[in-house]
Amino acid sequence: MGQYLPVVAMLVLAVVFAILSFAASKLLAPRRPSAAKSSPYECGIVPSQEPPERFPVRFYLVAMIFIVFDIEIIFMYPYAVIYRDLGAFGLVEVLTFAIAVFASFVYLIANGALDWGPAKRLGRRDPQMSATRTTTSTVRRVGLEGRPAGDEEVAA
Amino acid sequence: MRDLIWMIPALPLAGFALLLAFGKRLGEPLAGWLGTATVAGSFVVTLGVFLTLRTDGGADHRLTQSLFTWVPAGSFKADLGFLVDPLSISMCLFVTGIAALIHLYSIGYMHGDPRYHVFFTYLNLFVFSMLMLVLGDNLLVTFLGWEGVGACSYFLISFWFSEEANASAGKKAFVTNRVGDWGFMCATFFTFSALGTLSYTGIIDGASALPRSTATVIALLLFVGAVGKSAQLPLYVWLPDAMAGPTPVSALFHAATMVTAGVYLMVRINPVLAASAHWLPTLIATVGAVTALFAATIALAQNDIKKVLAYSTVSQLGYMFLAVGSGAYVGAIFHMITHAFFKALLFLGAGSVIHGMGDEQDMRRMGALRKLMPITAATFIVGWLAIAGVPPFSGFFSKDEILVYAWQKSPVLWAIGFVTAILTAFYMARQVYLVFFGDARWGEPVPEAAASPAANEAQQSAAEVDDTTATDANDEAPVAAHAASDAGADGHGHEAHADVHPHESPWTMTLPLVVLAVGAIVAGALNMPFFDRLKVLEHWLAPVVEHGQAHLTVSSGLKVGLGVVTVVGALVAFALARLVYLRGRQDVAEQIEQPVFARGWYYDSSIAAFMGGPGRRLFDAVSWFDRTIIDGAVNGVATLVRGGGDRVRVLQSGYVRNYALGVAFGAIVLVGLLLSRAVF
Amino acid sequence: MTSLLFAQLGTPHRIQTPSVAWSGLLPVLVLLGGAVVLMVVGALLPRRSRHSWHLWLTLLIAAGSIGCAVPLWFRVRDHGPLSILRDAVRVDGLALFLGIVIVVGVMLAALLTDGYLRREELEGPEPYVLLMLSATGGLLMASANDLIVMFLGLEILSLAVYVLAGLHVRRLRSGEAAMKYFVLGGFSSAFFLYGIALAYGATGSTNLTDIQRFLATNTLTNNGLLLASFALLLVGFGFKVAAAPFHSWAPDVYEGSPSPVVSFMASAVKAAAFAGLIRVFVYAFALDRHDWQPIVYVVAVLTLLVGSVLAVVQTNVKRMLAYSSINHAGFVLVGVQAASDRGVRSALFYLATYTFMVAGSFGVVTIVGRRGDNRHQLDDYKGLARTEPLLAFAFLVFLLAQAGVPFTSGLWAKFYVIGAAVEARSFWLALVAMLSTVISAFLYLRIVLAMYGGADEADEAAPAVPRLRIPFAARIALVVSVVATIGFGLVPGPLTHASKTAVPKIAAGK
Repeated sequence: MGQYLPVVAMLVLAVVFAILSFAASKLLAPRRPSAAKSSPYECGIVPSQEPPERFPVRFYLVAMIFIVFDIEIIFMYPYAVIYRDLGAFGLVEVLTFAIAVFASFVYLIANGALDWGPAKRLGRRDPQMSATRTTTSTVRRVGLEGRPAGDEEVAA
Repeated sequence: MRDLIWMIPALPLAGFALLLAFGKRLGEPLAGWLGTATVAGSFVVTLGVFLTLRTDGGADHRLTQSLFTWVPAGSFKADLGFLVDPLSISMCLFVTGIAALIHLYSIGYMHGDPRYHVFFTYLNLFVFSMLMLVLGDNLLVTFLGWEGVGACSYFLISFWFSEEANASAGKKAFVTNRVGDWGFMCATFFTFSALGTLSYTGIIDGASALPRSTATVIALLLFVGAVGKSAQLPLYVWLPDAMAGPTPVSALFHAATMVTAGVYLMVRINPVLAASAHWLPTLIATVGAVTALFAATIALAQNDIKKVLAYSTVSQLGYMFLAVGSGAYVGAIFHMITHAFFKALLFLGAGSVIHGMGDEQDMRRMGALRKLMPITAATFIVGWLAIAGVPPFSGFFSKDEILVYAWQKSPVLWAIGFVTAILTAFYMARQVYLVFFGDARWGEPVPEAAASPAANEAQQSAAEVDDTTATDANDEAPVAAHAASDAGADGHGHEAHADVHPHESPWTMTLPLVVLAVGAIVAGALNMPFFDRLKVLEHWLAPVVEHGQAHLTVSSGLKVGLGVVTVVGALVAFALARLVYLRGRQDVAEQIEQPVFARGWYYDSSIAAFMGGPGRRLFDAVSWFDRTIIDGAVNGVATLVRGGGDRVRVLQSGYVRNYALGVAFGAIVLVGLLLSRAVF
Repeated sequence: MTSLLFAQLGTPHRIQTPSVAWSGLLPVLVLLGGAVVLMVVGALLPRRSRHSWHLWLTLLIAAGSIGCAVPLWFRVRDHGPLSILRDAVRVDGLALFLGIVIVVGVMLAALLTDGYLRREELEGPEPYVLLMLSATGGLLMASANDLIVMFLGLEILSLAVYVLAGLHVRRLRSGEAAMKYFVLGGFSSAFFLYGIALAYGATGSTNLTDIQRFLATNTLTNNGLLLASFALLLVGFGFKVAAAPFHSWAPDVYEGSPSPVVSFMASAVKAAAFAGLIRVFVYAFALDRHDWQPIVYVVAVLTLLVGSVLAVVQTNVKRMLAYSSINHAGFVLVGVQAASDRGVRSALFYLATYTFMVAGSFGVVTIVGRRGDNRHQLDDYKGLARTEPLLAFAFLVFLLAQAGVPFTSGLWAKFYVIGAAVEARSFWLALVAMLSTVISAFLYLRIVLAMYGGADEADEAAPAVPRLRIPFAARIALVVSVVATIGFGLVPGPLTHASKTAVPKIAAGK
């Protein structure tokens, strides 16, 4: 069973790391709760409706783009370790793989996966989404309370 | 040319496809020319294949080409293949040749018809089917062609379907042919179970080894099929009604090609006939002879120009079956070829007359047309002499050969054939005199059976005037006829005449007539009697019919004697007809045109009466059984299914969780079922 | 641990790299590469374009794939199957035959998609890309000789189809269909994977050749593991082909998905899944056929009956066709159940002819569905023969072919399958199959009656609906399908011959 030892060690390390992180945050972080902080976590967007609402799919897109590169790294790392042993064959394989990943990346960029702004591509507009919603209007700048009401008009 | 056999049927098929797709756009007359060109091309290819077969047909004079396996099903296999031997190539030659001429003729004949292109579409499909029938190397391909020509025939009989009579004539042809097709199909099944193959090569080679009873059953069933397709007793009723179609159709389908398919089939399977019981050929000969006589008597009393020819066709087909039954296979094919020429000629001539008379078909309203339609008249007379068996026209040789074989089979059969020959000469003479000679009766009201003596007299005098004027001033003839009928008691004849302007047909119609007339004269040269070297057709077909052909044992003197007797009989009939119909012996005509003949021996009407009476009740009973018992069972099952479906439907709730549960449940059941078989 | 990793660096020794016979994989690679190119180029060019170049490029790629498959076909026919990637992929007649069927399914679906996208104001090359990617998975499944590769193919095939089901972003039912298909598909994939694991446990290999060899040379004293793996693998395949009792997703998903996609699901996806089923059961587990045949028998009976009986009570034509496609899957199962040369041959013939019938049927459904893809009630077909005689005739041909009427390919398909069942002495199964044909004939005739009857009522109601628009590409698809359906009905010979050539040798019984 000796061969499985590193796996067990990895498992233990992961658990220990998680426990340590929680503990450290508990011990070290200062605690000053406010209403804005205790509202449901939505990346700083003002909830315009009840929480169980659809998020813009963009968040998932970003997550998926991350996965694309995550997977690329997973393959790249072992290759980097033994690239000399694999020779030309390995190079071709990894190039193919990289091109495939790159193609998907090009596709994502071309489709505006990273364009952060109002929805503009769907033919028919979602009635629940206003065209006037922009980055400036949807992100609350904390600490504006008490300022002249003119700034808030945009959000409405 | 050996590899180009497939092109013979493929060309008309291509024509059919093109016409189907672009026919409307091509319009008149391009659609007609396209149809004609494909068939003519097919004729050229056939000619090439024919020459190849002559020069290097091999020992057995057979060329085969298999395109692909058409229906593979277990041990049963049917190729889409072609068999070219002297028999099929002879058929192909005259089918494509005559079809090309009739296509050409139709260009003129169908002029102005709103469904012009449709007509040629069907016509090309027909030629394709007919060639498949003839060239097919097995019974199944032949059956495909068999049904194809039938379908085209129904379509075209009902071509002018807006008239009730035409539509019902099509239905009649369809229903009657079903009986024949049943025979054909059963024969196919029997052949396969007996021989394990459907190919003609297999049948011909295996026929001699067949048990006598099996061979008899197969041959009898095929004969039933042939009787249906070739309009013999008792299934002839559809053919006269089929004249409702356009005349080129009558000429091509119902005279020259399709109706001879039955004869072709019988000749094709002659080894099976040879292996079957002896009573079967006798039966075939008897059916043929009786049909020939029966139809000839009916033809005596018909007034419709096409009906006469229709019954005449039935009668001549009877001759061919008489030949088959007497073992004169070569004679049957010989007569088929000569008949194709002269009967197509007669039909097309009749069509030309109908066309020129403005769609008039009643012979009692024709007459004196020979001056106005000289080419039609001359060619029609050639056809008349040929069918009447006057030497040296082709009909004489072919008919004579059949009668000699019939004599050898039985003098009684010969006697029937002889009487038929005389009747044929008579009714055809009657037709020619009524249409082309005598006085012009265009547009006159049809005289009732008991015509008044006055009218009779007027007619007679008109005939005389006509005769005299015709001799000195040709162009004056119609005018004189006008005057003559005006002079008679018939007052309103004048206005009626004004509407009818008989005229000769365009060249596209007369050219085929001339070509066919030449064929009708010289086709007899194919198989001249007396000298062995002159029997070209017999030597050519010998490899095909070697099993079945009877050997002639009668002396030359007897042959000559029989021939002379027939010719004399025909000439006497001519004289009689001239006496009756040109000299206007109306009383004799009435004696001859018995109502029993005019009504076709009441055969048709008694069938109708039976179908309307006891038959009707029987069908009602069957229909009740079908409705109540069969449909009831079906409906019961349907109700059951519906109810069951409604129950099970509840499971289809639309919830994913339920579906997942279903999948899981199914998986558990499957695992359970399999593990119950496990060995632990 | 780190020392372990770094220890490798010091001693460079050559790793044996496999030599790959790429030519054998060309049909798959062309499709895959084409899909990627289309995806990237399509994303870089303006999205909404007047020209349907997406479609034509897709057709070109698919034709290229077939063009690569045809020389392979002759090579395989003359020199035996190719074994590629250490026998993980086996290119033989079966793989190529069904591969071509799948790609034809892609072409027909693509032809239908073009007009559909325009009508529904959808855009982009994605549907075509997904069709091709899905077909890539299908081809991989058809040629897989390893359970892992087969699973890979299955997942590539399925994932793309899940997305395709939800193609119509503005139609709620489309999303619902995608969701249902995805959840249930994932569920069944788990069963399949579990089945692979058990098969590996029982035989010690995931390679089908090895499994077959192992089972031929060893007698299992304890075969519970193997039998359980049969059941679980059958669940996975049965789900994909919509065999009862794993069919429940099919009507809902078919109803909700865009109609062109349904034509793909019913033709290509089924063909791929059956390819896998035949490879695993008929070939790898050939010697244990007496264990799995009864189970397939039961599934086939259930599928035939469920497909025909439930179809009768539907009023939605798309659902009717969904059930009828379940019924057809039952027919193919009848061929598989025979576990003989003849059975496999009949199954191949059935799948090939069914592709045209079903693509044509759903082509008509796509057109009649009109904008919004919602008009699928039987009433919407009333009087179709009067307003669109040619379209109605095409539908008539497809329906009659599905009912197995003579002179259509459907007759021969059913005839061969039942013939195979009779040869395998499964008389009752053949009887059930014929009975189900009779029941489902009722359903087809119902649609035909709606199209050709009821014209007068429609006249009086006079709903002033605009004429149907039949896009050019869809016309091509319909004409091709009609010609193939009638053509193979009149001349089944060439296809029968091809399916005969395609069938590999089945291992003889113990």
